[in-house]
Amino acid sequence: MSAATLIARDELRLLARNRIAVIATVLLLLLTLVAVATSWAHQRGIAELRGRYQHKAEAAFKAQPDRHPHRVVHYGTFLFRPLGALAAFDPGVDAFTGNLMFLEGHRQNGANFGDVRQSSLLVRFGQLTPAFVLQVVAPLLLVFLGYGALARERERGTLRLLMLQGVSRRALVVGKLLAVGAVALLAGLPAMVGFVAIAGQPGALALPMLVTALGYLAYLALWVVIILLVSALVRQSRDALLALVAIWAVTAVLLPRVVPDVASAAVPLRNRFQTDVAIARDLRQMGDSHNPNDPHYAAFKQRVLDRYGVTRVEDLPVNYKGVQGMESERLSSALFDRYSGESYAAQSRQIALVDTAGMLSPTVAIRAMSMGAAGTDFAGHRRFLDQAEAYRYALVQRLNRMQAEDVSFADDSAEDAGADRRKRVAASNWSAMPDFAFSPASGADLARGALPGLAIVLGWLGVAALLLGLATRRLGERR
Amino acid sequence: MTLLGHELRLLSRQRLTIFALVLLACLTIAAIAAGMAEVARQRAAIAAIPAAQAEDIGAVAAFVDEKKDAGSAAYYSFHPTWDAPAPLAFAALGMRDVSPYILRIRALGLEAQVWDGDNFNPELALPGRFDFAFVLVFLAPLFVIALFHDLRSGERETGRERSLAALPGGRGLWRRRTAIRFALLSAALALPFIVAAAVEGVAVATILVVLLLIASYLLFWIGLAALVGRLRWSSVANAATLAAAWLVLVLVLVVPTLANVVINAALPVTQGAEIVMAQREAVNRAWDIPREDTMRRFYARHPEWADSAPLGTSFHYKWYFAFHQNGDESVAGRVRGYRDGLERRDAAGRALGWVLPAVGVQALLTRIARTDLTAQLAYQDRIRAFHGQLRAFYYRYLFRDLPFAAADFGRAPRYEDAPHG
Repeated sequence: MSAATLIARDELRLLARNRIAVIATVLLLLLTLVAVATSWAHQRGIAELRGRYQHKAEAAFKAQPDRHPHRVVHYGTFLFRPLGALAAFDPGVDAFTGNLMFLEGHRQNGANFGDVRQSSLLVRFGQLTPAFVLQVVAPLLLVFLGYGALARERERGTLRLLMLQGVSRRALVVGKLLAVGAVALLAGLPAMVGFVAIAGQPGALALPMLVTALGYLAYLALWVVIILLVSALVRQSRDALLALVAIWAVTAVLLPRVVPDVASAAVPLRNRFQTDVAIARDLRQMGDSHNPNDPHYAAFKQRVLDRYGVTRVEDLPVNYKGVQGMESERLSSALFDRYSGESYAAQSRQIALVDTAGMLSPTVAIRAMSMGAAGTDFAGHRRFLDQAEAYRYALVQRLNRMQAEDVSFADDSAEDAGADRRKRVAASNWSAMPDFAFSPASGADLARGALPGLAIVLGWLGVAALLLGLATRRLGERR
Repeated sequence: MTLLGHELRLLSRQRLTIFALVLLACLTIAAIAAGMAEVARQRAAIAAIPAAQAEDIGAVAAFVDEKKDAGSAAYYSFHPTWDAPAPLAFAALGMRDVSPYILRIRALGLEAQVWDGDNFNPELALPGRFDFAFVLVFLAPLFVIALFHDLRSGERETGRERSLAALPGGRGLWRRRTAIRFALLSAALALPFIVAAAVEGVAVATILVVLLLIASYLLFWIGLAALVGRLRWSSVANAATLAAAWLVLVLVLVVPTLANVVINAALPVTQGAEIVMAQREAVNRAWDIPREDTMRRFYARHPEWADSAPLGTSFHYKWYFAFHQNGDESVAGRVRGYRDGLERRDAAGRALGWVLPAVGVQALLTRIARTDLTAQLAYQDRIRAFHGQLRAFYYRYLFRDLPFAAADFGRAPRYEDAPHG
């Protein structure tokens, strides 16, 4: 048996005899199991609830009686953001984005009813998920168990004793690395077991899961290396502990909060009120469909009349109101896309700033990686928003076309007692409308989104390992 | 006084202590600056409302004035409401980053509008804000641990404890050292806060309450450090125990997260989605039932308009607004249930504050800063009251068939924010 494995065995035996260390480890394991169980149950509960509501909303849409198509444009439909299987491991922004969207004509609504606005203040303290345990709690446990690994030997003078007995510095450090690394593996194990359990669910993806597992492995390994590095550098184990707790507090608690604040101050977002006013202003400039003399709509009307070779809208083979509805929806949707595109671009810039700060804090980097792989980051939410908007536009235009083709202009303009009846189209049309089908990101896309975070964590690991190598060479020298 | 002076000189030679105090002061100043910048941004956004609103309503007035149709005026006019940050909001931003503080509404069905949110980046909101409350609740205990974990054990480990105890007045030594460290920590937190609070115009009584909160929270942690110190363990064991306590025992990170899961499971809220779905069903059904049924139901609840002229065969906006209000009223029970659920959850979270000082301090700070759920719901109540005024204003024109000219836009009720003291 090599010296390194002997050292590792010895260190582990010492840890196993330390009652506090054992209790802390067991607590962490229990906490992880609770986190896995609750967030899995939570995710399934949400998925079930949203699925049920989605079904209810679709059934309500299809059960509409005979209606004027424009009524249905305003009746609209509801979409509930579906939650991917990996959200049980890392729900990411799910609680912070609304999960319900109301789709209607002439308006682009945001997603409402996020959990953050309907939970107690505790939600802002952090959410108990396997990802949170691995990112924040597990490193602190490793700090408690490993801070003395080298500092203790020096403090007690056993370091020189070991070296006198012919143990190389390298073997000593590798042995301690193995011991603390074994604890790290143990600490990460339940979360990984939970992860595999989630993989049993349909819809989970192998590639992003592999990236996630690799990322957390690298992240915990990084903490093991940092702990030994500090333990090798400082004079007393007390200093090692304080320095490590400080590093942990700064990188895992402080920076993840400071960096987003800096990003949101650096890249301001236009608020909803200003956006709505600006959209209304642009719409007025493009063309006012209320104004019979508006140049844009006058020209549009002339083009329609020319296309059908008639001189009056009454002579058109289609209902001009529906045709005009399509044009105005086209104009307003283009504006919505432009403004939401600007907002998304600003939010992406904010997130890019945060990602750059991953260079300062591996916790920020692993969080981005974890959410990216689970598809629960902003990009995942935006995927839903984009698809919802595409669906909204297609639905509204389909209804406008129905008004143009199935409701006559004469009926549509009539105001007599029976007109209301004649304006309606048959209820059977509503069930013919296609349902919204969310197409989730592919495994390759998710994995690609997670790569930058993974690269940063691996970079950190490389640098820390290099520094530990340097520190090892000078271990035990008098200073 | 000389004894205290000696202690101060001793303290000034401890690099760790000085570094910790300077760092805490810097973090406090940074957090307060971040909070003040955020509050200033929110105030600027509110200050920008009137100009944009005047432009928007001016355009509506221009086209409504041609036909003088009150229904179009009511349908197309948006009215802004806002919730200005209280003077103390800079110290605890609470929910103001995820809840809207500006919302514009129309006289149409309110339940389809009042739950709307504002634009915010969810990835930035996820970790929580860096404000004074965060520095106090999360970080200050770590500094207490750094300064107090070896108060006695450090002297014991260097072999000075017995000689110190033998000195005359040795008993007061620990009290003096504790008092000095407590005073310096308090100063690092309180001095920047007092300056900022004075700039923001926070009432003196409120400042005193916050100072009391700072002192009691620090004393709780100092007391805990003293308790651990009595076990006569080594400095390093003290530090590890206190740091673990910070994580688990005093439950800053782990227990609140666990309690959040428990509270959300134990107190399910009737989903807000049900409100808007039911309201939309009730509103749209009006197109498929006799219009007289709608009016009868509306007049039964609002007899003040019942003497309005009967509906003709053509479209009339008074029917349109009547069924919107009927829709709101049909879900009033659901709204109450949802709100009760939110308040119960909030109360459960705050009740935990009696056991967990960290949660208690956070809850109290956001309460007196008026940035918590209670403040959000109060804002919603003001929106509801204002919406009621809007309805009454437009209904007078609609149900009495009065023309609505450009000048009438200036007569519409204006939202008034609650005065903050």
